[in-house]
Amino acid sequence: MNNFKNGFIKENPVFCLFLGMCSSLALSTSLNNALGMGICVTLVLIFSNAIISAIRKITPDEIRIPVYIVIIATLVSVVELLVHAYLPALFDALGAFLSLIVVNCIILGRAEAFAKKNPILPSIIDGLGMGLGYTFALVVMSCIREFLTTAWVSLYNPFDMSQLIFRIGIPQLSDYTISLFGTSVGAFFTFACLAALFAFINSKEKKEAKK
Amino acid sequence: MKKTIKLALFLGIVAALSGLILGFVNSLTEPIIQERAVASEKANLELMYPGADFKIIEYNDESGTVIGAYEVTGKGYIFKATATGYNSSTPIIALVGITNDGKIDNVVALQQQETNGFGSRCFEESNIKSLYIGAQSEADVDMLAGASFTSTAMKEIMAKSFEAYKKVK
Repeated sequence: MNNFKNGFIKENPVFCLFLGMCSSLALSTSLNNALGMGICVTLVLIFSNAIISAIRKITPDEIRIPVYIVIIATLVSVVELLVHAYLPALFDALGAFLSLIVVNCIILGRAEAFAKKNPILPSIIDGLGMGLGYTFALVVMSCIREFLTTAWVSLYNPFDMSQLIFRIGIPQLSDYTISLFGTSVGAFFTFACLAALFAFINSKEKKEAKK
Repeated sequence: MKKTIKLALFLGIVAALSGLILGFVNSLTEPIIQERAVASEKANLELMYPGADFKIIEYNDESGTVIGAYEVTGKGYIFKATATGYNSSTPIIALVGITNDGKIDNVVALQQQETNGFGSRCFEESNIKSLYIGAQSEADVDMLAGASFTSTAMKEIMAKSFEAYKKVK
C-alpha cells in the first residue's frame, strides 16, 4: 500500500523523480491527451513490472537490459496497435509519443529499481502507483494549461471525439487567455511551479517527521 | 563460450516469444486498422464509384506521386496521386480510377488551387471527359492549351497511376 501511495506525492515520477518529463511536457496540452497517455503508460508499466518480476530469477544479469527492452518494446507495440485500432483519434493526437513509451525512463527505471528485486504482486502495485502518479502529474499539468489557454477544461469520449463528457470553465475569462501556456515554454513554467510545490510539500513532511 | 551461447539462447527465446505475441495482436488489429483507413477515405472513393466495395492495397511509389491505392471490387483500381501544377504552394491531389480493362474512367480532383480560367479548366467536367477519360496509357493523355503547368502535373499523375496499375494488377 505504501508503494502505491508513494507514487503520487512523495515519489511522484514526474515532479519528484524527474522521470518521463519529455512526454509529460509535450502531451499536457489537453486533458484528453494527458489521460490517454497516462493510461497507456500505466498499462505498459503494470505489465512490464509484472513480467520482469516474474522472470527475475531466470534472467541472466549480464543481458537484463536488452531483455527488459525487448519486453517493454513488445508491450508498447501491443498497446500501440490496440490504440490504433480502437482509438484512432487518440492515436493521431499522441503521434510519435505513443511509440516513444519504449524509452520512457519511468518504465525502465522501475524495472531496474523495483521489479527486478521484488515479487510479482508488489511489483504490480508499484507499477500501478507509479503509472497513476504519472497520469496524475499529466492531468494536473494539462488542466492548468488547458484552462489558461482556453478558459475551459473539457473531456471528450475517446471512442467518439464528437461526444463531450464534461466541460467546465469560466467563460467570462475567455478574453483573457494566455496562449503562451499552450506552447512548450508554458509547459516548462507549469512544470517548474508544480515541481516547486511538490518539493515544498515533501520538505514540510520531512520536517514534521524529524520533530 | 558456453555462457555466451546460454545468454544468446535466453535472449533469443525472449525475442521469439515477443514476436509471437506481436504477430497475434497484429492479426487481431490489422483488419480494423485497415477498415478505419478505408473509412477515412471512403467519402472520396464513393464519389467515383458509389456503393462499391473498397480495399486498401499496399503500393509504394518511390517518386512520391502515388500516395494511395485502392481496389474497387469487380471494377478496377483507384489511385490517389499528387503533383505540383502552377500553384507551387498547393499541390494538386486527384483520384484516378482505372478499370480492369486498363482505361481511365473517372478523375476527381480532391484539392486544386490552379489559376482560375487557365489551369482550373483542366478540372471542368467537359475537359476531364475529353482529356483523360478513356485514356489507355500516358500517351493518350492530352494537354490543354494555355494550361501547360497544370496539364503537365495531371499528365504526371496519370503516368504514375498507370505505372502503379501495371504493378498491382
